[in-house]
Amino acid sequence: MAAPAMASGGMRVEGLGIRFKRNRMSRRNFKDLFAGRNRRSRPGEFWALKDISFTVNPGESIGVVGRNGQGKSTLLKLVAQVMFPDAGEVQVSGGVAPLIEITGGFVDDLSVRDNVYLTAGLHGMTKREIDRAYDEIIEFAGIRDFVDTPYKHLSSGMKVRIAFSVISRLDEPILLVDEVLAVGDKAFREKCFTRIDEMLADGRTLFLVSHSESDLLRFCTRGLYLDKGELVLDAPIGDVIDRYNADYN
Amino acid sequence: MARYRRSLWLLTARDLKVRYTTSALGYLWSIIDPLLMAAIYFFVFVLVFNRHVPGQEPYIVFLVSGLLPWTWFNGAISDTTRAFTSEGKLIRSTTIPRTIWVGRIVLSKGIEFLLSIPVMVVFVLATGAPVHWEAVLWIPAIILQAALTFGLGLIIAPLVVFFRDLERAVKLILRLLFYASPIIYGLNDLEKMHLTFWGAFNPLAGIIGLYRSAFFPKDLNWFDVGVSVALTALIVAVGILVFRRTIRTVLKEI
Repeated sequence: MAAPAMASGGMRVEGLGIRFKRNRMSRRNFKDLFAGRNRRSRPGEFWALKDISFTVNPGESIGVVGRNGQGKSTLLKLVAQVMFPDAGEVQVSGGVAPLIEITGGFVDDLSVRDNVYLTAGLHGMTKREIDRAYDEIIEFAGIRDFVDTPYKHLSSGMKVRIAFSVISRLDEPILLVDEVLAVGDKAFREKCFTRIDEMLADGRTLFLVSHSESDLLRFCTRGLYLDKGELVLDAPIGDVIDRYNADYN
Repeated sequence: MARYRRSLWLLTARDLKVRYTTSALGYLWSIIDPLLMAAIYFFVFVLVFNRHVPGQEPYIVFLVSGLLPWTWFNGAISDTTRAFTSEGKLIRSTTIPRTIWVGRIVLSKGIEFLLSIPVMVVFVLATGAPVHWEAVLWIPAIILQAALTFGLGLIIAPLVVFFRDLERAVKLILRLLFYASPIIYGLNDLEKMHLTFWGAFNPLAGIIGLYRSAFFPKDLNWFDVGVSVALTALIVAVGILVFRRTIRTVLKEI
């Protein structure tokens, strides 16, 4: 099947699968270290995701639903391409702004200013783009007085605020959000929501992992329900949440 | 490619900035180590054992010209054992080409090496050692050493993720390698044991030979350099292969 060119912000996932070791400490040998992709599972391994296929059109907003440990975050990481699948493939057209482990790139000993330039730069912004966005990033996080403070001296709320502020400024057509909204105070959460609304209005594609029904209903139109590593239901978000509640409540 | 260069530079600059802003002595730390080692070996060999080998005088210049590159090699290799384990969160959140996680270590330690060259100059001026045209060979020497270190890093960094013991093993091997390399002695000194030929199969031998030729041109042996180039090419090729095959599993593991 010839793949037609995707518009920016589109995504195609086909036969996606990834397996992990059941036991981190289980014995390794050189053979499985160099093992390439292969569909056979070996003893002591399980498929965290198997045979997931779906297509996303630009501008769609999708909520991923499922209990803990059913592969939601793993799916997001595969879409963000910070992890590689063992089977199938992910095609993403255009860049991805991953709100996953957002504080990961920040260095404790450097100032907030240095950290903003570092993280934005690693996500592909040029120095000039950062110069232009810098004031807005600091303003949004509301930490104007702390730009020269070492990152480690910020409160944990401030850390998340500045991180969200940087990543959400990335000019990418796809936004991945993994539970980050659960942190921060109410006022900042409202600000984040407004920001996500703006991005959606801009025509961006959203991928949201959340346990909060209200967040899912607020932002998403379509839902993916993952259970035991399989895609059980791909339907409008209301139906997906109903099915989830019927299964587990 | 532009993105690769930019990310590499960002991370290298970050490493240097962290190193220099978190310590009061900053720059001094990058030269204290080779200086201390030079002082120790000078004391032992020249003052205690009264070492005078023709063609290796002044010995302090001979020593420092081997110790400075060694400090780069040693620092970079021991840091690559932690290339993935110490930066897990950051690696899991960005999509930059993963070889950068090794490259940034080679580059930041390399810059520290360049910054330590004034030490070399001071000793040369103080002892009045003659400098020959072979000083330009420092440029290929630096390139060769960077390639060798990068290739070894590509092999070591992913393997440590699976075999944590390797981190300690590497430290031990580095210590052994220090004495197995012509740093405190020259390859010619191995003649009595008929090891000069085999000594060349340590890729560091040719590299140190190139550095030293600026002050001791007679010690330069193109056979050593040739072996070093061939081994470096082999190590880089193996490194790329190992890295490619293991990176999928590394990203799951960190």
